[in-house]
Amino acid sequence: MNYEYSQKEFEFFIELYQMVSAYSASHPMDTGGADCEKNIQGGVEKLGQTPYLKLGVSDVENANGLVTLMGAMEVVAAVSPSLYLTAEYSMRLLGRALAKWGDEKQKQAFLNPLISGSAIGALALCEQTVNVDNEPLAATGEKQGSTVIISGRKQFVVNGPVAKVIGVVGTCDGKPAIFLVDGDAPGLSINRTEGSFGYKGACISEMILENCRIDEDRMIRCSEKEDMVSVLRLWENQILTGASLGLMRASFESARDYAKSHKTGGKPIIAYQEIGFKLAEMLTLFQTSQMLAIRAAWTAEKQPREAFDLTLCAKVFCTESAARVSGEAMNIFGSSAYFGANPVEHAYCCARYGESFGTSTELSRIKIGDAALGIKP
Amino acid sequence: MDFGFTKEQQMFKKEIIRFAKKEIVPRVQEFDLHKQFDFESFRKLGEFGILGLHFPEEYGGGGADVVTTVMAGEALGEAGVDGGLTLAYGAHSFLCADTIFKHGSEEQRKKYIPKLCSGEWIGCMGLTEPDAGSDVASMKSTAEKKGDKYILNGSKIFITNAPVADVSVVYAKTDPDAKHLGISAFIVEKGTPGYTCGEPLIKMGVRTSQTSEQFFSNCEIPAENLLGSEGDGFNMSLQTVEWDRSALLAPFVGVSTYMLKRCADYAKKRVQFGRSIGQFQATKRKLANIRIFGEAARSLIYRIAWCKDQGKPLNHLEAAVAKLFVGDWSMGPANDAMILHGGYGYCHEYDMERIFRDSRLAPIGGGTSDIQKMIISKLM
Repeated sequence: MNYEYSQKEFEFFIELYQMVSAYSASHPMDTGGADCEKNIQGGVEKLGQTPYLKLGVSDVENANGLVTLMGAMEVVAAVSPSLYLTAEYSMRLLGRALAKWGDEKQKQAFLNPLISGSAIGALALCEQTVNVDNEPLAATGEKQGSTVIISGRKQFVVNGPVAKVIGVVGTCDGKPAIFLVDGDAPGLSINRTEGSFGYKGACISEMILENCRIDEDRMIRCSEKEDMVSVLRLWENQILTGASLGLMRASFESARDYAKSHKTGGKPIIAYQEIGFKLAEMLTLFQTSQMLAIRAAWTAEKQPREAFDLTLCAKVFCTESAARVSGEAMNIFGSSAYFGANPVEHAYCCARYGESFGTSTELSRIKIGDAALGIKP
Repeated sequence: MDFGFTKEQQMFKKEIIRFAKKEIVPRVQEFDLHKQFDFESFRKLGEFGILGLHFPEEYGGGGADVVTTVMAGEALGEAGVDGGLTLAYGAHSFLCADTIFKHGSEEQRKKYIPKLCSGEWIGCMGLTEPDAGSDVASMKSTAEKKGDKYILNGSKIFITNAPVADVSVVYAKTDPDAKHLGISAFIVEKGTPGYTCGEPLIKMGVRTSQTSEQFFSNCEIPAENLLGSEGDGFNMSLQTVEWDRSALLAPFVGVSTYMLKRCADYAKKRVQFGRSIGQFQATKRKLANIRIFGEAARSLIYRIAWCKDQGKPLNHLEAAVAKLFVGDWSMGPANDAMILHGGYGYCHEYDMERIFRDSRLAPIGGGTSDIQKMIISKLM
């Protein structure tokens, strides 16, 4: 047992924080402005110069796999939620799928650029009905010789408009598969989803595939024993859990600093019990979330059979805590958080994404309840 | 980081659960109903080695580390042992025995620790006063040295185990003007002239633990019953906080696992509208809430335990976070578990009613949730 990160891990987190903060200060990534897309691509390239994108995919010196990754996720998400979402959906969804199920040729062609940050990827999982947890995949690939013809319609694809390669999750011959489609492939149309509530710098889109052709060697399969969609959902839930930690850190630290500096009635507002106690509850939720998220990440690596339920527990707890902590942070800031760009306001908006996406908190609770009742998925 | 337990720890936990289910749990509801202390179960805890688990073997203990000791507390809760008995165990082993072991002379250790480990003697700690709860420095009890004796005067309140205790660690001021630095700790045995206990208080929950006032009226105790040196008492009381935030919270985490199993079993059997209530999403939601609380709380208490094993000084902020979370957030799952059982959950026949009452102590005992928020807001 060991409940602390190593010195080397701490040093890595600090370096990562300094790098992302410095870049973010000169390259806004969360305003939703015109430069965001370009800045985020630059940010991903910057991350590619660190071990960050390799975590959870390949061995990194002085790192402890997913446990280190969860700590690093918190750091990046706290500084720039939009950069985080872009990098994670590229690397930790499509990248991990390639690392786990891809062949050497696919890894060379598609994984290496993602790890280096020179390319951004996307994974198209959500169907039109959104829910792939208890409904079959609708996108299909039909083999014709050495070609696969893909048709389907996907929603809420993070990175869709900026991805060099998109992993479209569907079925071929009745079995799950990921089809690696170029971002500019004929037959693929991408409609950017405008006006998102949070993650204002990230590109999210709808995607229509009409007889989109790829070579058969661009298809990824998993083994018969594996449930590909469940594994992908687990990874997505880990991403959203990590995001929640970062959003809570940003919200809590901003609110705490504001409460120490903002005075009313002749004293800093933190001196008022109502504010001090609110911050205490926020920190309690934040620290509890950290421990649960890290333990879930550790379990995913060391005891994978127990990871699905525990990851859902972590996802529900952390995303709901992030919504509450960021909401309370808004209250502490008072009117000043409600007008104009503010990291707390953005964190509040981003936190809402976590509860709804991945396995939604409602569906997660049903699955956790099923597990308690001994009902197998 | 590594959250794994050793195989030995896991096996030990299973053994405790098996033991508690067989020897203790069948008696729990009856003793709770009659608000009685279960001496036999307490003695069995001693025989099994739980009461003295973390003390060295030479004093009759088990020589276990803190993580294993916390695990034992979790196991008792998971088996279905009531909050009254686990509270009595906590007050006995950690607030009384551990203080004597840590700060007592070799003679004091040899005299008291083996008897406390075996359960032959029961211990308690007299700290709280009617006007001095978490504000310990406001304590009014005094201990005046006269020759080779101390004369204790004052009263204590809400003292777990006091009516059944053979030995008590009592805090009193040897220098009333020195605030917290004037507090000293003493060992007081049952039957000492001038020492009496009130009638057991009627409590909402944890009813099998006996709680009462302690009265000291010109109570003469030998000078050698002083623990450590005069003025050390405040720091001694603070050191119990490490146990309070780990081992004493552990049963609440264990109980959440117990509730989850009981609720799931009930939900599978109980049929309404032609199907088991487990098939309703509202039931699954409650089960999920119970599981999520348990998983979230578990890491917090083991973090405190692991740090103590590493010899790290207590991180008071993390300790307060653990206490606040377990205290305030355990209410929801206990409520969910009771409601899931419907009318049966409201009746004593099903133990969800007792667990709900027992859980109410979590945000109160050992420093209320508001006190924890004060600590956290000061330290952040």
